[in-house]
Amino acid sequence: MSDQAMRDAWFPVGLLSGLTRAGTASMLMGEDITVGLDDTGAPSVDCGGRKLPTVERFGHLWTSLGAPEKDLFTIPEADHPERTLVDVGVVRVKCSPLRAVENFLDIAHFPFVHTDILGEEDHPEVNNYKVEVRKDEDEVWATKVEFYQPQAAASAGGGIITEYMYRVPAPTCSVLYKTCPPRPGEWDVICLFVQPLTEELCDVWPWMALFDDTSTITDLIHFQQLIFLQDRSILENQIPKKLPLDPALETPTRADLTSVAYRRWLKRHDYTYGAQLVAE
Amino acid sequence: MTTTPLSNRRRRLTIQGNLASPSFLPWVERHSARLGLFCENLQAEETQVSFEVEGQEELIDALEVGCLLGPIDVWVESVEQHPAPSAS
Repeated sequence: MSDQAMRDAWFPVGLLSGLTRAGTASMLMGEDITVGLDDTGAPSVDCGGRKLPTVERFGHLWTSLGAPEKDLFTIPEADHPERTLVDVGVVRVKCSPLRAVENFLDIAHFPFVHTDILGEEDHPEVNNYKVEVRKDEDEVWATKVEFYQPQAAASAGGGIITEYMYRVPAPTCSVLYKTCPPRPGEWDVICLFVQPLTEELCDVWPWMALFDDTSTITDLIHFQQLIFLQDRSILENQIPKKLPLDPALETPTRADLTSVAYRRWLKRHDYTYGAQLVAE
Repeated sequence: MTTTPLSNRRRRLTIQGNLASPSFLPWVERHSARLGLFCENLQAEETQVSFEVEGQEELIDALEVGCLLGPIDVWVESVEQHPAPSAS
């Protein structure tokens, strides 16, 4: 299998607010790139003298090593003018970029990794939920995911049953829609945008679009960074390092159906950069 | 404290998809064995494989979920689970 399908995908490479004319050295799928502003002040990504295509969206600059057939996905809910948009920053993680997304989709780890925040060891149950690949959008969706959380968000006053929807619109991106404590009926939007530096190293750019009138931006960033730093120690110690697409190496169960749907979707599209194809 | 004994089930799994790879049937048997299950009455065509297994419900479910992903050289479209005809 080749990496062409992944090369034709869009990836985040930096915060728009952090771009400079001097540029920043980075990597994308093993290739050196420079991310910055060109002579006109427009965002620019250079790869060995080749100017890569760019998109500015969700507070980030996105690029591709190939020729994307589709525009970068959208998040209509994030356009609501009363939402607070939060650029969380970047966390470097020594793991496969696909592992980072798969971990984000795994609700069953909350009580054990995010104890007393996103889950409690006394409430580890994951009720049945619905997983599908939506054919029109060609995206993985998990809906009707319900889970007890003692501190679901920075704005939550106490424990609540949180409802989640997960969406995978691109091979290294996941969007989480989550019960919004201060505004019932609306969803908080929490995104994980992952830049594949190599097959076993990635930069993770979380981004949020929230209804929260009380927390400061610093509070919101600290809450999300706390959660992700708890994940990092798990991610960096997973074996194998790459995400196995053959279930012989890890035995998925019904609670892992979102992960299985994600892996099937990756396999279907040859999105295999960062994946382990055969059990060894 | 009382515990509910785990009960065994006998089920027939029917897998559909592009299953022509010669590696698939050995993979099914290996994956079943890894879960402590034994495949019987296996019937195989290029687009459908079915077999019976007996064991704990949760392990048969795990086999179904594993088969849904399958090895890299096959594409599994669906896996269905039914009571095996020989179930008592």
